Amino acid sequence: MWSVPSLFDPIELGPRTARNRVVFGPHETNLGRGRSISERHVAYYRRRAAGGAGVVVTEEASVHESDWPYEHAPLGVECGDGWQAVAAACHAEGALVLAALGHAGGQGTSHWSQRELWAPSRVPEVNTREVPKWMEADDIAAVVAGFGAAAEVAVASGCDGVEVNAGQFSLVRQFLSGLTNQRDDEWGGDRTRFAREVLAAVRAALGPDRVLGLRLSCDELAPWAGITPEAAAELAAELCADADLRIDVLTVVRGSIYSVGATRPDGHTPAGFNLDLARTVRDAVNAATDGRVPVVAQGSIVDVDQAEWAVADGVADAVEMTRAQLADADLVAKAVGERRREIRPCVLCNQQCMVRDNRNPIVSCVVDPSTGHETTELERIGVTGTPVDVLVVGGGPAGLEAARVASTRGHRVRLWEQSHRLGGRLGTVSLQPGRERFALFADWLRSECERLGVEIETGRDVTVDEIARSPSGGDVAADGTCIVVATGGRPGVLDATVDAGARVVSAAEALEVGAAGLPEGAVLVWDPIGGPTGVAVAELLVAGGREVHLATQDFIVGNELARAGDLAPANARLAQAGVSMHRRSILRSVAPSHAVLEDRFTGTRSSLDVSAVVDAGHRLPDDELWDALRAAGVPSVVRAGDDVAPRTVMEAVLEGRRAAVDLG
Amino acid sequence: MPEQLIWTPLQLGPVTVRNRIVFSAHLTNYAVDGLPSEQHVAYYAARAAGGAGLIITEEHSTHPTDWPYEKLIHGFHPEVVPGYRRITEAVHRHRVPIFAQINHNGGQASSMYSRLPVWAPSPVADPLFREVPKAVDAAEIAEIVASYGLVARHSAEGGFDGVELQCSHSSIVRGFLSPATNKRTDDYGGPLANRARILIEIVDEVRRAIGPDLALGVRLCGDELIEGGTTIDEAVEVARMVEATGKVDYINTSIGVATASLFMIEASMHIPPGYSMFIPSAIREAVDLPVVGVGRFKDPLQAERALAEGQCDLVGVVRGQIADPDFVAKARAGFTDDTRLCLSCNQECVGRMGLNRWLGCIENPAAGRESEGVGQPRPVAVGRRVLVIGAGPAGLQAALAAARNGHHVTVVERSGAAGGQVRLAATVPNRAEFGDLIRNQLHECGRLGVEFEFGVDVDADEVERRRPDTVVVATGSVPDRPWWAPADAAWIVDVRDVLDGTAQPTGSVLVLDELGFHHATSVAELLADRGCTVEVVSPGMVVGQDLGITLDLENWWIRAESKGIAQSTELVPMGVEGRVLNVQHHPTGAMETREPDWVVLAVPSTPADALFHELRGRGLDVARVGDALAPRRAHAAVIDGERVGAAIPTAQLAPQLASR
Repeated sequence: MWSVPSLFDPIELGPRTARNRVVFGPHETNLGRGRSISERHVAYYRRRAAGGAGVVVTEEASVHESDWPYEHAPLGVECGDGWQAVAAACHAEGALVLAALGHAGGQGTSHWSQRELWAPSRVPEVNTREVPKWMEADDIAAVVAGFGAAAEVAVASGCDGVEVNAGQFSLVRQFLSGLTNQRDDEWGGDRTRFAREVLAAVRAALGPDRVLGLRLSCDELAPWAGITPEAAAELAAELCADADLRIDVLTVVRGSIYSVGATRPDGHTPAGFNLDLARTVRDAVNAATDGRVPVVAQGSIVDVDQAEWAVADGVADAVEMTRAQLADADLVAKAVGERRREIRPCVLCNQQCMVRDNRNPIVSCVVDPSTGHETTELERIGVTGTPVDVLVVGGGPAGLEAARVASTRGHRVRLWEQSHRLGGRLGTVSLQPGRERFALFADWLRSECERLGVEIETGRDVTVDEIARSPSGGDVAADGTCIVVATGGRPGVLDATVDAGARVVSAAEALEVGAAGLPEGAVLVWDPIGGPTGVAVAELLVAGGREVHLATQDFIVGNELARAGDLAPANARLAQAGVSMHRRSILRSVAPSHAVLEDRFTGTRSSLDVSAVVDAGHRLPDDELWDALRAAGVPSVVRAGDDVAPRTVMEAVLEGRRAAVDLG
Repeated sequence: MPEQLIWTPLQLGPVTVRNRIVFSAHLTNYAVDGLPSEQHVAYYAARAAGGAGLIITEEHSTHPTDWPYEKLIHGFHPEVVPGYRRITEAVHRHRVPIFAQINHNGGQASSMYSRLPVWAPSPVADPLFREVPKAVDAAEIAEIVASYGLVARHSAEGGFDGVELQCSHSSIVRGFLSPATNKRTDDYGGPLANRARILIEIVDEVRRAIGPDLALGVRLCGDELIEGGTTIDEAVEVARMVEATGKVDYINTSIGVATASLFMIEASMHIPPGYSMFIPSAIREAVDLPVVGVGRFKDPLQAERALAEGQCDLVGVVRGQIADPDFVAKARAGFTDDTRLCLSCNQECVGRMGLNRWLGCIENPAAGRESEGVGQPRPVAVGRRVLVIGAGPAGLQAALAAARNGHHVTVVERSGAAGGQVRLAATVPNRAEFGDLIRNQLHECGRLGVEFEFGVDVDADEVERRRPDTVVVATGSVPDRPWWAPADAAWIVDVRDVLDGTAQPTGSVLVLDELGFHHATSVAELLADRGCTVEVVSPGMVVGQDLGITLDLENWWIRAESKGIAQSTELVPMGVEGRVLNVQHHPTGAMETREPDWVVLAVPSTPADALFHELRGRGLDVARVGDALAPRRAHAAVIDGERVGAAIPTAQLAPQLASR
């Protein structure tokens, strides 16, 4: 009987067999020490292997000293010990390990190497505008040899194979693409020549019993000169059919020098956006290789259901679920163990896991802040030896996480939420276009708390007296109950003159009521933060038919969105939607029918006819209960989240977790 | 000349400084895992060897809640002490005192690295980090105060001669002092005496920690340059309070808030030297303590003048001593001309700080790499005859680096003057100081005996005829003509054509900025000054985007708006029809047209590397540097030149000589 493969069936990758088809793909972590793989890396990969990943692909290592794209970018020749430790750790947990190898070419930076960039042609790097050196024959030979040498190190370290990057940030792709390869020599006449040379060198170094993977950008989203899906399918089929190269697995990605953000976008791009592309390429590769070379789909695949469908439906043979395994390292174990509902969902926010950033942030995750910090105590939540009664006040992310973890640790937990809805800020965040998945996290927290037996009361107002009465009163504090205050934040105070009758609403309120809930007329969104919120409110209101103005003191709208990869996309969406953007502007006053902006540099004031202003600025802590409890001398009280200081969901979750662990 | 004040020793409490030049505190990003590094040791030692009167290190953080940038020294860890000792011993070898600056940045931070709430007097988000801080309670204030004492003790154990409290431009103490960030209603908020309470408590704590044998300084901000912030009157009041404690030995000064008005703290060449001297002047009138003045002091004469005029008792020279560690020694010896003058370009010092990279210098490739021996002479046994072709920044650096090691260097330059594109860039009035790069290189070449031939255009035959042992090709780059610009459109010219006078645009001018740096903005200002109507168009989100890195963006906007220069972004040229330029707004695809009288291009250029390839083809020992390798900015040219020039090995003796 013909059977449909399952995501959790083993799969042959040439000479090696992976236990399932869930791949933890290569990505920057900033966990490195210098340019080597660190103990933190080992713990990080071991955790995913222990959680059931079939294949772990390590952070890409540069194959040649001419490439130093970010400070802690691993360098192949320095990775031997690290790869060995990663391979040993992951093998012990049953996962295969592939070492990702690459060279960022003209998409690197000269700031660490203090040397010129190397690229096929002199196409400037898009952001830094650095013009690379046009690689000459000996440069090409050196990089090709570097690929071989790095592959040898990977083999000697016990890796199951390597994955050559011809996807994003890749010299190999730059040679393949007409966008970046404008050479008129043999490497331009045949733009695949460099890739073939690299793959041949790597295969020679690997020998016959190691896996050669290729990560290939199959759509550069620039049909005028870039790699198109049609051309990519042909190229992939040709390369995979080459018996000498003997590629064992192909991962389909997209993006070019001009669309870096499209390779791993946030929630503004639908989950599984690459599936059609993967199918196209797989069909061609299958036909050319008689199914010998499995194809891996990549691209915001974060739900097990979608991944299962992709494998069952022949979209791909395996699936990269990288961010999903940052959100829940035990994704595979839970899915296989019929605990699918317990999988903590990736919200596709990119806020903590995108770390190609000058500041070298450590990879982490909004919904699981222990990610990237596996060597610290937070990962070892464990069970308490001294269970206590816990009352959590507030059912936002901090409170729910505190309740969840306290309950996991064996404490007896109650949670009181003032409103009739759990989730707190997660609810309003999920009303933002592109950030709907935050609702899944709220649902998950609630469902986990319920599963763990947390007694939840919504619509439960809390008074200080109730908690803080004298010990004889029999109140919750006096009977030894530990209190976790997680009462969240409240709207900030607009730093502008507000006339009587003027309508100023908070971003949260604007999201709740939508365009229909605001007075008729144009709306000004004042965004002094430049994060996702101001942009989202503007998008929501303009979609609701309003004339929308968005003002910021910055030179750029959404100034802080770069790290998550949404800066250029957000600006494009706003421009396309017709939002009027006022940059370098400071909101000075709001009247019932207009608002006044001041140019930061000239001091010139201008008036906008608007009927309402949305304040997307900073919030304030709602710390009334905390202050009162402290004033009343209540013992055993801790707080977490926005009532400490209003920040993002990550800090709320982290502090909720810490509060629960600190209970003992 | 009478004995100058600059060389008059001064007593800072228990510490004697032998001259009045201070290498004052600044970030370096040299720390590794929160600890001082060998990079620090060699860096400070070089400035001590160069004769600085006093060195004050970068800040040492007092508390785990304070971690605003990755490579911060965590002074609260006892593990810092051995590193402190290595630094202080290296500096003391040159009989120069060194103080540790200790600080908590307060709300001017994020939780990115600490994963802890940021601490500040009030929940007022910082304009740069944009994270709402936790308002500290009384117990936490006491913890902060105690943490200063801890780090002061570490400093004393580490051999420092004093400590300085950074209460000025990025500090929780500043946060308390400033009405803009202190909204408290308790004993630490409201009247100035309350806002200064934490400062006085810290002074008490630190003096108790260090005892009488170490100096204690307090650095105050004289004007925060922000709405509702501290201004000079309050700063003077605070200085009086500090003096009244009787526990402080000197007052240092600064201007601006690092996370709001940094461009006025580390002012680039567009801001006049001495711009912030009103601050030490005012404080000095109010207190008897010695006062340090800072603010773009570039040369010893200017420092002497400030001292003579009574503006301050000591002068902070940071960038001047980054560019030339021997700034003081050269001045003391009377060789002021030898000083490698700072350009105040901010490209590789300030510019690298904001990008989390180690501190360097555009014209001193050894800065930050002292521990690797960069820039040190390594004399060769037998000098080679080195021919450098091209006297731009790359060629000049290659020449002086080679000559430093004993090679015999000749530089040939096609044009009549050295400098290449730097010379052109410096023709724009407010960029003139950039030209000091070339002045400095030429001076050093002259000192090292490099020979120059100007107006000499060599070809490969001529090079061979000269029989050099080694050739360095530094022939620069030539402007590129974009695909859409018709070759015969004389109204479309390159920035270089305008700066060298070949083209003299009048009327309306569109400047295309595809380089994102000074090229477009400089020429736009020049033409606006000449009466042109100027629009700068960029495909990026900001015109001159990297001016933000060098802290020039704010002032560019101020000048551009006053000169009526229009700025249009996210536009890409799509073609020319007659005299009409079609541009596309790429986020929306909308087409627009422009009909300027002139278009000036600031676009990537093409290496002039034909000579290099020909020489290599003929088998000569040849290297290329700077734009001839890949067209980049001036710092890259200098780095290339230094690397290649310093690496030229000794000449091989001819066989018949060697066999004797």
